[in-house]
Amino acid sequence: MQLPLYQIDAFTDQLFRGNPACVVPLEQWPADELLKSIAKENYVSETAFFIPQGDGFALRWFTPDIEMDLCGHATLAAAHAIKTILQYPGDNIVFSSNSGPLEVAVKDGRYTLNFPSRKPVAAPLPDNILQSLNKAPREVLKARDYVLVYDQEQDVRDIRINRQLFDKINLDPGGVIITAKGDKVDFVSRFFTTQASLFEDPVTGSAHCSLIPYWSEQLGKKEMNALQLSERMGTLHCVDEGDRVLISGRARTYSTGTLWTE
Amino acid sequence: MNIPFYQVDAFTKIPFKGNPAAVCIVDDTVTETMMQQIAAENNVSETAFVYRNEEGFQLRWFSPVVEVPLCGHATLATAHVLWEEGIVPKQETITFNTLSGWLSAAQHDGWIALNFPSLLGHQVPLPQEIRDILGVNPVNAMFILNRYLVELATEAEVRALTPDFSRLVNHPRIVVTAKGDPGSPFDFISRMFAPCVGINEDPVTGAAHCALAPYWAQQLGKQSMTAYQASARGGVVKVRQEGDRTVFSGEAVTVIKGTYTLNPSYATATLSN
Repeated sequence: MQLPLYQIDAFTDQLFRGNPACVVPLEQWPADELLKSIAKENYVSETAFFIPQGDGFALRWFTPDIEMDLCGHATLAAAHAIKTILQYPGDNIVFSSNSGPLEVAVKDGRYTLNFPSRKPVAAPLPDNILQSLNKAPREVLKARDYVLVYDQEQDVRDIRINRQLFDKINLDPGGVIITAKGDKVDFVSRFFTTQASLFEDPVTGSAHCSLIPYWSEQLGKKEMNALQLSERMGTLHCVDEGDRVLISGRARTYSTGTLWTE
Repeated sequence: MNIPFYQVDAFTKIPFKGNPAAVCIVDDTVTETMMQQIAAENNVSETAFVYRNEEGFQLRWFSPVVEVPLCGHATLATAHVLWEEGIVPKQETITFNTLSGWLSAAQHDGWIALNFPSLLGHQVPLPQEIRDILGVNPVNAMFILNRYLVELATEAEVRALTPDFSRLVNHPRIVVTAKGDPGSPFDFISRMFAPCVGINEDPVTGAAHCALAPYWAQQLGKQSMTAYQASARGGVVKVRQEGDRTVFSGEAVTVIKGTYTLNPSYATATLSN
């Protein structure tokens, strides 16, 4: 089988920034084993696969290790490929996914993801994770991911994690978000995954499904700008809409190619 | 600027097995900074950059974080691409100028042979902590250049290892090996753990066979051997010991072929953040 393959940097307008995702359009679903093998071969944080379905597309995401429940940056990348490479005529792309219907609105090169809100609630932090951190958070909450809140942006930049302790626990498909109020933006964050091939995710849309309702309440704002402070950096515009969140960003195509499966 | 690239699985002819390397055919306008950024974006263990000048083919290898001095599987992948794309006629040997001097690649019946210097070492006691982490009682242990070579009694022991990689971070690379079982198609098998350089387990490692070949040549009294690296992806390596050189060969398959579309202004743009 011969498949088209695109690699796209999401949540940035600059090449080599944001979060790289691979995107593979399909006619129909092959065996899951093949999807896993392709994601492992690509070895970026997520590979998005989609097939046509009704007026929209059915979408799935795989890391090099597992299938994900929800992934923002690869959804944005898929929408970018559908719009700019596959020349989709509309400005509203509808995906069905393991996390229900997801809409992406396209305007002037900006993609707005309409995702479920996953408001985190206060939760105890597993000891291994607490002990793996160079500094304890001031507050701990949890939805899919643990949300560790710190006093200031510098704490997020300076976070050090002892992987030997951190990796003792499996949180699939969740991770650990480190967050604080931003110096120049509303809030900043970083995202780490235990027992994963890729330890720090450069920019994580789905983490913002929890960050948006939390910071919206803390700051008393519905509309916020966020930065993810990984080495590659990502910029996200966020809106709290009650049971949904809007996350928007830009994208750049890095490569276009063909993949052979045999 | 458009740069053609290939992703090749080395030491196998089956896609998704062997060891993946990216290969980029460039010219001398591609800077070192660009090479490092491309390698980081690709995120495969090594990206090879090859270009031709009046001296011949120049070859460099980059991991996602740093330029590396020597890499077997990405060299094999590069030679595969140059022949497959008709850039070099298939019967012709290719020589590459690299950070480790001139390296040659030749092809016979789909097997690509690379000629590298052998790596020799000396017998050492394996530290107790490594024995504990691996959970093994080795038959023999050597220290070779910067890595341990650990011989176990059976293939099954090598295949069954599930070390706690986080505990290996502060130890050198470890190549674990065993003689092939009676009736096995392989003279020896191996696995390679390198958490110290960010790789828990390398899928298939050409350079490790520059240490394994002289070791097993002496143990088995054979100069030509067939080996299997028993990682999850797995790969077959044929080796021939020739004095102080090791010739190792493998097959290769192109899995992805495409183009990087780099905006000419990107270099200045990336400096602005």
